[in-house]
Amino acid sequence: MSKKIRVLISKPGIDGHWRGGVVVSRGLRDAGMEVIFGGFQNAEQIVESAISEDVDVIGLSIHSGAHLVYTERIINLLKERGVNEHFLILVGGVIPVKDFPRLKDMGVANVYGPGTIIADIIKFIEENINK
Amino acid sequence: MKRKYDIDFLIEKFKKKDKIALARLITVVENDPETAPNIFNNFDNSKNDSYIIGITGSPGVGKSTLINSLVKILLKNGKSIGVISVDPTSPFSGGAFLGDRVRMTDVSLHPNIFIRSLASRGYKGGISRAVFDISLLYEAFGMDYIIIETVGVGQAEFEIYNLVYTTVVILVTGYGDSIQIQKAGIIEVGDVYVVNKKDFGGEDIVVQLEVMLDDATTQSGWRPPVLMTNSITGEGIETLIEKIEEHKEHLELSELLQEKKRNRYAYKIKELMYKKVEKIILEKLFSENEIHDIATSIINNKFQIYNTIHDRFKNVNFEIKKKEL
Repeated sequence: MSKKIRVLISKPGIDGHWRGGVVVSRGLRDAGMEVIFGGFQNAEQIVESAISEDVDVIGLSIHSGAHLVYTERIINLLKERGVNEHFLILVGGVIPVKDFPRLKDMGVANVYGPGTIIADIIKFIEENINK
Repeated sequence: MKRKYDIDFLIEKFKKKDKIALARLITVVENDPETAPNIFNNFDNSKNDSYIIGITGSPGVGKSTLINSLVKILLKNGKSIGVISVDPTSPFSGGAFLGDRVRMTDVSLHPNIFIRSLASRGYKGGISRAVFDISLLYEAFGMDYIIIETVGVGQAEFEIYNLVYTTVVILVTGYGDSIQIQKAGIIEVGDVYVVNKKDFGGEDIVVQLEVMLDDATTQSGWRPPVLMTNSITGEGIETLIEKIEEHKEHLELSELLQEKKRNRYAYKIKELMYKKVEKIILEKLFSENEIHDIATSIINNKFQIYNTIHDRFKNVNFEIKKKEL
């Protein structure tokens, strides 16, 4: 039985940049994935959504500059529930390259800045889940 | 990274009301219905009956937002609720954009609610195949209410009617004139009708619905009410809950609830049986390739389509031995 790849795309916090998450969602949808669009959510809501929807991938779209704080908080909450290993965590948005290593140290699988090709995200997801 | 689920372990956690286990068991029944018996065998039949409500209507009428307002009140009244929200799967990519949960962020952290988004995955009628199995899981989990939200439906997608006890049909202003309201299909399956977005109007739709309902010649003893709501502000939602409760009471007192339940299971039993027969036909009689070949031969012989199929079945031995099932 073939299982669909399920992805949560959420925007932690309240920055108003909506397009990035929508465009990536559309690309993943067109690649045959089931995208749960979470919209604006706080860290607790993102974790609850990821668990309830039993997604394979958590995609965080952040343009507010709060990527370090939010990502750390979300990963800590996932750890508290004992499920941080369960998800492939991706971060995208306006993220300074110098912060990429810190995000990866926290447990983020990959980071996507401006100019990312959606096909690269798709390829990364397909190669890195279910392993 | 994951993902081989240990069903026995999950069942154990599920019985202790663990939401992670519930979420993962849903994944199992959605992807692999063959394992469903192994899961459901673990549950006690006498345990819990949830009251099952269907919410349906065209795209954008406010189904998800209305559910958000509805469950807010039910939660306040101490009830537990399982929500299933279905959105369409793309016929081109097989992917889906599930955008119902985003309307329910408000309530999503309450301990007594569980929300799951589903893609229709090619299933017809505005729901998904897994809706039934997931509602069984919610019942086993002990939910007081189960709310099933269909995809944004058209006129002829009303399978939801077969799976729930109270069907709420939502419309908005601009639905059309009195001719649209007289048509068969979605517009006749409501137990409660809601004209949402009342701040945009819709009084004319209410009048047309009332007239249509007054003209009904079949009697079940229940005259569906028509109400106006604003699901963002919550206006009219208290009344909606009252009407749902009244309908529930009506079904219980008139023993129609038993009939609804029988209908619900009959619907699923038929589906499961057809599925088995279909499998035999496709495996033993005609493969997808053969159907493809027949279709190719029909292109220049279109008027022979009935004869061709008739001839193909002439030589089929319909004696099915039990072991094949």
